[in-house]
Amino acid sequence: MRKFFVLLVMLFALPASAHNVVGGVYAIGSTIEGEAGFSNGDMASAGTKVTVTDPAGNVLLETETDEEGFFTFEAAARVDHLFRMEMGSGHVLEMILPADELPASLVGGAVASAKPAAKASGGTAVQYDDAAMQGMIEKAVAKQVKPLRKELRAFQEKAGLQDVLGGIGYIFGLCGIGMWWRQRKQAQAAKTA
Amino acid sequence: MHIVDGALSEPVLAGGALLALAGVAYGLKKMDYEHLPQVGVLSAAFFIASYIHLPIGFSSVHLILNGLIGLALGWAAFPALLVALILQAVFFGFGGFLVLGVNTFNIALPAVMVYFLCRHGIASSSPRVAAIWGAIGGAGAVAVTTVMVAGSLALSGEAFWLAAKATLIAHIPVMLVEGFVTAAAVLLIRKVKPEFLHLAEDWDNA
Repeated sequence: MRKFFVLLVMLFALPASAHNVVGGVYAIGSTIEGEAGFSNGDMASAGTKVTVTDPAGNVLLETETDEEGFFTFEAAARVDHLFRMEMGSGHVLEMILPADELPASLVGGAVASAKPAAKASGGTAVQYDDAAMQGMIEKAVAKQVKPLRKELRAFQEKAGLQDVLGGIGYIFGLCGIGMWWRQRKQAQAAKTA
Repeated sequence: MHIVDGALSEPVLAGGALLALAGVAYGLKKMDYEHLPQVGVLSAAFFIASYIHLPIGFSSVHLILNGLIGLALGWAAFPALLVALILQAVFFGFGGFLVLGVNTFNIALPAVMVYFLCRHGIASSSPRVAAIWGAIGGAGAVAVTTVMVAGSLALSGEAFWLAAKATLIAHIPVMLVEGFVTAAAVLLIRKVKPEFLHLAEDWDNA
């Protein structure tokens, strides 16, 4: 019996495709970072093809994910970017990065309202222009936010007990409607008979 | 086992929806209302079974139970599975609404096939024979479903053999477990509640 159990466990260890594909794309300056994986925590396998297209369907780039299901893309224009990945066995992931998350300095963006250059630099040795500063801030924030993004996504994927109970409730409710309907029909038939 | 939105071509989606619709309509017609609670209970069982992933090793699998549902419900498996699949899409985000037809058909048709192929077997007077047929039904339904999933993908342009082989190998453990579960369920139900498997009529003669 124990041997059989061990065998069973070993068989379970075979790779099986999980259900949902999850992923996200985020803009950090003009660089778009993306990641893809499955809802059970596995990331997309290395070398999964990522196709990037603009809204008109023109392919901008085809790239591949690394071992951690991660990929980057350098945006050249401020348009919606569509990311499509085929992850095998009917798993397709489509993600959109809206144009307004990309910096306005790119082609197609509204001309950034050029603020008057920083005045009165009270003796600071290094000066940054606004755009570079913006980029640095975005990068720093992105780094901090990344683990939170991951956690949040894992949380969203986890359906709770409420969902399970709710689903069962719906099914039983449907049965109840069916039975009630049937009861009414029987009662009507009895009345007319 | 659920194909997600975006993987299939439109003709496949439309064909799947039509076939599923026909199956559901026929199933509703064939379903007698005495069995309505049973349909509900099995629909709920399927709803849960797909949610519970068994995270063993570095991956996870889940039960499908369509063999058992087929044995118990016959054509009524179509409406029962459709309801469960809709709710799974709503609550868990499994599959999607556009592929609902294809998913329903891929899971419910094997269930109906098992009903017709194995019903005689599980009504056998020998519990051993009945258990074996139950196991065949449980494992067979999963096998047919994987092949149909691979077929749906192939019709949409993906390489059939690669997809079929991948899904089939991945589901060998599921088939084994479903075989055992269905066989055990058949044995138990035969003892305690034979009418659950529509066996009441043959039972006295057996």
